[in-house]
Amino acid sequence: MHPGAIARAVMEAGLDGIVVCDHNAADNAAAVGRAVGATHRTSIPGMEITTEEEVHVVAMLPDLASAGALHARVAAALPGQNVPDVLGWQVIANEHEEVLGFNQSRLAGATTWSLERTVDEIHRAGGLAVAAHVDRERFGLVGQLGFVPPGLRLDAVEVSAATPYRVGCEQYGQPLGLATVTGSDAHHPKDIGLSVTFLRMEDVTTPELLQAFRGEHGRSVLGGGRPMDELALHILDVALNSYEAGATSVEIAVLEEPEIDRLTIEIRDNGRGMDHETQARAVDPFFTTRQTRNVGLGLPLLRQAAEAAGGRLLVRSMPGAGTLVVADVQLSHVDRAPLGDLETTFMVLITSRPDVDLILAHRRGSDGYELSSADLAEALGGLPLTSPEGIALAREAIRRCETGLASHASDPPAAGRPGTTFKEPKHD
Amino acid sequence: MTVADVAQAIAGSVVAAPEHAGNEVRGAYASDLLSDVMGNAQDGDVWITLQKHVNIVAVAQLKNLSAIVLIGGRQPNDDTLARAAEHRIPMVTTTYSAFDVAGLLYQLGVRGRRAS
Repeated sequence: MHPGAIARAVMEAGLDGIVVCDHNAADNAAAVGRAVGATHRTSIPGMEITTEEEVHVVAMLPDLASAGALHARVAAALPGQNVPDVLGWQVIANEHEEVLGFNQSRLAGATTWSLERTVDEIHRAGGLAVAAHVDRERFGLVGQLGFVPPGLRLDAVEVSAATPYRVGCEQYGQPLGLATVTGSDAHHPKDIGLSVTFLRMEDVTTPELLQAFRGEHGRSVLGGGRPMDELALHILDVALNSYEAGATSVEIAVLEEPEIDRLTIEIRDNGRGMDHETQARAVDPFFTTRQTRNVGLGLPLLRQAAEAAGGRLLVRSMPGAGTLVVADVQLSHVDRAPLGDLETTFMVLITSRPDVDLILAHRRGSDGYELSSADLAEALGGLPLTSPEGIALAREAIRRCETGLASHASDPPAAGRPGTTFKEPKHD
Repeated sequence: MTVADVAQAIAGSVVAAPEHAGNEVRGAYASDLLSDVMGNAQDGDVWITLQKHVNIVAVAQLKNLSAIVLIGGRQPNDDTLARAAEHRIPMVTTTYSAFDVAGLLYQLGVRGRRAS
C-alpha cells in the first residue's frame, strides 16, 4: 500500500483519521502521516505487534518519535530475516511513492515478547495497547489464549468487521470494562473504511483516544460498524454532522413503505446550513477544507449507498436555515444495505447531546413510532438523560418501539394509533 | 499410564507439581489454540503445546487435564510455573517437537478421544 493510495482511500471512505499499523514495524508511519496529513486528515502512528503467543496487539502511539523507539525495540525482539520470494518485499516508501528501502526483518513472524511484556512495552513508549480483532480465532487474544488474562492492562479491545459492533461490545468490551473499537484491518486500500469507529473527541490524537476509551472529559466511543452495510451508521454520521453544525433541533425519520417498495431516510436540522457551493462540495469526497468536513463528509458515501440501490440523495440547505438530507432506496433492491442497528444509533444521538432537541420517527407500512428527547426528559422528571436512569429509560423506550415494529414486520397494513407521551408501535 | 510414564517416554522433566506425576493419563490432545483446547480436550488428557502463557494452567484446570507437555525445549514463564504448582497441574518440558511427542505417546498406546 503506497502512502498516496492510502490517503486517497481515507478520503473516499470519509474518515477523519486512521491508525496506520504495519505488522511489527512502524517505518512507513511517517510517510503515511505526511500523505494523509496533506489532505487534512490524520494518520496516527501505530504498529500491530505479534506476541510470542501469536496474539496481535495494536499499539497506538502519540508521535513518530515514540513509534520509532518502539519500532527499534520490536525489531530487536523479532527473530529471523525476511524471505522476499515467499513473504513478499517489505517496502519502505515515501509519500511520493518512491521506494526508500526494504525492511529486512521477518515481519510476518512473532516477537519473543509475551502478551504482558508487549502491553508494558507499548505503555512505556507512551502508547495505547488494544487487543486486535479479539473476535478472530487466529491471532486474536481470545482465540489464541482462551480468555483475556486477568490483570492485563489493555486500553481497549478491537473487533473485526466480521462481528457486528454491538455484539462485539457485549461479548468482549463490556465484560472487561473496556471500550470496544472496530476497524477495517485493511491490508489493501480498497478495504479502508470497511469498518469504522465513531468517537467524540476534540481532535484526532492519541491522548484524545485514551480519554475517549476511558469516557473521560466528555470524550467517548460512540459506536461503530460497517458503514457500507448499515444505513443506521449513515444516519449516525449525518446527524453527528448536524450536531457539529450547531443544530439545536434534529429530526430523523426512517420511512419504510413496502406498498411502493421504498425506504426513505430524512434528517433535518436547524444548524448553520451550507451555501450552494459548499453543498456541491459536501457530496464530493475529495473536497478537503477543514470547514466543509464538519457539514457532511459522510454524504458521498450515503449518495453511493442510495444510488447503488435504486435511489438518490438530496441535500437542501441555506446558510442560517439548516440542512435537510433525504436519501431513498428501493426496499427490495438486491444492493440495498440493511437498516442495521438503529437502537444504538438513536441511543448515541440521544445521550451524547441531551441539549439537542431530537425527534426520531420510524415507520414501517402503517406501523410506526415517534420518540423525542423532550418527551424522554419529561418522563425522567428532572434527571438528566445522561444519568444511568436516563440511559436505561431511553434504551428501553427505543428497544420497545423497535421490537414492536420488528414483530409486526410481516403484518398486513392496519390503522396506526396516535400515541400519548410518545407513539409506540401498535400492539394488538 | 501416568504422567511420570509420559515424561519418561519423551525424555522430559516434570518442572511443576511433581507430586502429581502419578495422575492417570486417559488420552492426549495437541493444539496451540487455547480456545480450541477449551472446546475439544477431554477430561484426563495430557495436553501437548508450545504455549507457555499463564492461561494454559487455567485451561488445564478447567478441562481437568492430567498434565501439560511443553514441547521444543520451551521453558514456562515464572508465573506459569507458580500457577501450575498452585493448581497442582503437572508440567513436563521436553526437547522433542509436538509431532515427535505425539508419535512417542501413540506408540505407548495413548490415543486422542473425540467429544462424546
